[in-house]
Amino acid sequence: MKLSMKPQETFRDDYTFSNSDEAILRFPFPFPDDNYMYSVNMEPHVRGGASPVYNAVFDIDEHYIGDMADRAITLEHDPLRCQVLPHMEEAEWDTLELIMENLANDYPEHFSLTKNGDEWHWINRPLDIDQKFVFGRAETLPYGPFEYITRQTQGDFSLQDQRDNNLFMDGGMVTSQADWSLNFDVGMSFHEWHGPVPLAHESGVFDRALQYLLRLQYGKPVRRLNWTMTANPRLDTSPENYPLWGPEKATITPDNVGHRMCLRVELQSLYRLPRSNAILFSIRGYLVRLEELALVKKWAIRMHRVMRDLHPKIVEYKGQSRYRQHVVDYLAPHDDGRVLNPGVAAEQDSI
Amino acid sequence: MSKSRPVYTPFGLDPAGRAHLVVTSLDAPPEGIEDSLANIEVWTVKHNGPGVPAPIVAGLRPFRSTTELLVQLSHRLTRETAGLRLYAVGPEAFIWDAYNAAIAAGLHPSEISLHRAGPFVRRVYCSHCRTIIEGVPVNIVACPSCEAALFVRDHFSRRLAAFMGVKVDAEVPGEIPEAEVFTS
Amino acid sequence: MKLKIEAIVTLTPGIRKFTLAPVDGAPLPRAGAGSHLVLEIPGSGRVWKNAYSITSATEAAVYEIIVRRVEKSRGGSAWLHDHAKVGDVLEVQPPQNLFAPQRLAKRHLLLSAGIGITPFLSYLKLPCLAYELHHCCKPEDEAAFRALFPSGPQVTLHTSRNTLNLEMLLKRQKLDTHLSICGPESFMDVVLATAAHCGWPSTKMHKESFGGATGGESFVVHLHRSGVMVNVGREESLLDAMEAAGLTPSSLCRGGACGECKLPVLDGVPAHHDHYLSEAERAANNAIMICVSRAKTPELVLDF
Repeated sequence: MKLSMKPQETFRDDYTFSNSDEAILRFPFPFPDDNYMYSVNMEPHVRGGASPVYNAVFDIDEHYIGDMADRAITLEHDPLRCQVLPHMEEAEWDTLELIMENLANDYPEHFSLTKNGDEWHWINRPLDIDQKFVFGRAETLPYGPFEYITRQTQGDFSLQDQRDNNLFMDGGMVTSQADWSLNFDVGMSFHEWHGPVPLAHESGVFDRALQYLLRLQYGKPVRRLNWTMTANPRLDTSPENYPLWGPEKATITPDNVGHRMCLRVELQSLYRLPRSNAILFSIRGYLVRLEELALVKKWAIRMHRVMRDLHPKIVEYKGQSRYRQHVVDYLAPHDDGRVLNPGVAAEQDSI
Repeated sequence: MSKSRPVYTPFGLDPAGRAHLVVTSLDAPPEGIEDSLANIEVWTVKHNGPGVPAPIVAGLRPFRSTTELLVQLSHRLTRETAGLRLYAVGPEAFIWDAYNAAIAAGLHPSEISLHRAGPFVRRVYCSHCRTIIEGVPVNIVACPSCEAALFVRDHFSRRLAAFMGVKVDAEVPGEIPEAEVFTS
Repeated sequence: MKLKIEAIVTLTPGIRKFTLAPVDGAPLPRAGAGSHLVLEIPGSGRVWKNAYSITSATEAAVYEIIVRRVEKSRGGSAWLHDHAKVGDVLEVQPPQNLFAPQRLAKRHLLLSAGIGITPFLSYLKLPCLAYELHHCCKPEDEAAFRALFPSGPQVTLHTSRNTLNLEMLLKRQKLDTHLSICGPESFMDVVLATAAHCGWPSTKMHKESFGGATGGESFVVHLHRSGVMVNVGREESLLDAMEAAGLTPSSLCRGGACGECKLPVLDGVPAHHDHYLSEAERAANNAIMICVSRAKTPELVLDF
């Protein structure tokens, strides 16, 4: 696939992040209806579908270089953003294989993988990496296999061990999370790490989701979308650094909300891993500034209605209480009351 | 375990177990131990004067500190054989320390039974600087290391045996709500 | 996927080993230890779907399975023994793993009988598994089974009940050990009961259970929404019968373990042979695992 990447971009401090017109139009807008409530909403992760981000197995976009540079900074300051419990080594290699094979297959102009038995040769042109190693021997790589490959893939990842009819988050690379701590959550079961989410437990959403995932089959990955909002296009919105980014939320004003406030959508996809029988969970985040989003008329109107009518408990859990009204007020002028088509399609070809 | 914080059941021995080890940081065995079940051993924390160990009486073994008890527990579990059930009785932090010792020795959670006794205080993990703060009675606490005023969430990590603490006034420094005493 | 039979080796008169290779040379999906394949085996007028453990190593370029010819065979194993030839091509579902080694166990006690050895053969090929295997077989099969194992003190073959002291074996295991068993139902029942008697919790006992109940009285099932009535014969499962009638209920393990084939029961009383439903669900009798369970009443009505 043809893809050109921005050579540099920041997701902290001066926040030079911005989306090209192409990136705006391919944004995975998450609202098919005028109101929003939690649901299991999983579908097969097959090529194509409602958004162009589904065209590759692991989607790489124009922000790749800046994204990975930001991850490297976060890991420099806090290496415990990547942890794998000792019994998950086989799952690490499963992950490396899955990602390398798919990146090389989907983006041959940027990545290539050649194998000679166990001797693998991996080339990552955008990050200027040329690595020969022995598959299965961790000492031949500069990092553990999971850390090695996730330092080169957009999005956060968790590794889930399946045992006792349950899933346990026994590893992860988490540098762009929506306010949860890997160090705190590592080792937790499915219901435990979802503990803080309001409303969903009562309706049995997590019970059903767990049963569905326990039967996830190799070669048949699934996906769903989740969303939140971020003041400034910041990737590291971790609890650890909340004292850094928390104050930014309170600086949102009607004048800057269009530029600073971002819709953050997670494309979550889940893969059964063949050797370890574990599950790889990819949490691929996409950011768009409200003023960029508003260039797509349908999305501006729909988002206005969703935010205006959002359930108060969801507003609170997603940490949006402080600025929600600014967002609603910013989008309101776009909403002329027209009936919108259901579905997430942008319904326009250019900005 | 409930979705965010552990929920405890009353103390009782599992009749399916072949042998039973009850550990408590209190100085006496919990009520409810039936003599009819064979193979019960109880460990307590109690001493007989400054630094002086209390005597071991059949089936009842006192330690001079919870630290000593937990160290000995790890050692003992590596020697034990299948069919043992472990019970931990006491404040929340202690029972989860015992739990983690047992998991490290290979026990499955179904072989471990936790029962809380004592005051409603929490061990708190400061998510900003990783400091562990013991014995917190209310839901706002100042981290002794990085000085953040922490809100103590109901979210519990078995691995860390602690509740999550996050800066309560990150968005508007100084805006700190009233602390509430823990009632569970 | 289509696989061709690359080799057939007779291990004993009733046990054959098959090597399955890709038809087009493309690499096979990797199968972790404990995985199984479901083979779609041609029969007279219908296709049998049988599950077999993969006995080869994860990194092998082919799959190996070992098949015992079941005496009252429903057809699948009989075909594999009596008709299958090198070069035959079979439709095979990609590997699934419902019996992976327990990752948190530091040691594994493996107990098997007869053909139940098959899932453990892939375990033994893992480079770092700390295990103790006790395998029970008939004296006349001893040589054939012994040839399948690596030599060493961690493997013990028993050709008579007297040499396997279950209670002593189970009692002396350390707390970091998990028990995994595979074999005929009667064997597994005895092992599980003895382990429970010795205080083992059910969470540390794991059994491979595809293969489940093979038959019972015939009965009739009405598929309410499909408007179809199906006879379930003595030698076939409810799932088999529905598939033979051209229906496509969801299924996965075909052994009563995974929950995929659960259907609501609208009328009639099911006879539960599965390992999935809770005690309460069993008692309520409003659901059935169609791959292994049958009926207590002459007829069942299912919501399908």
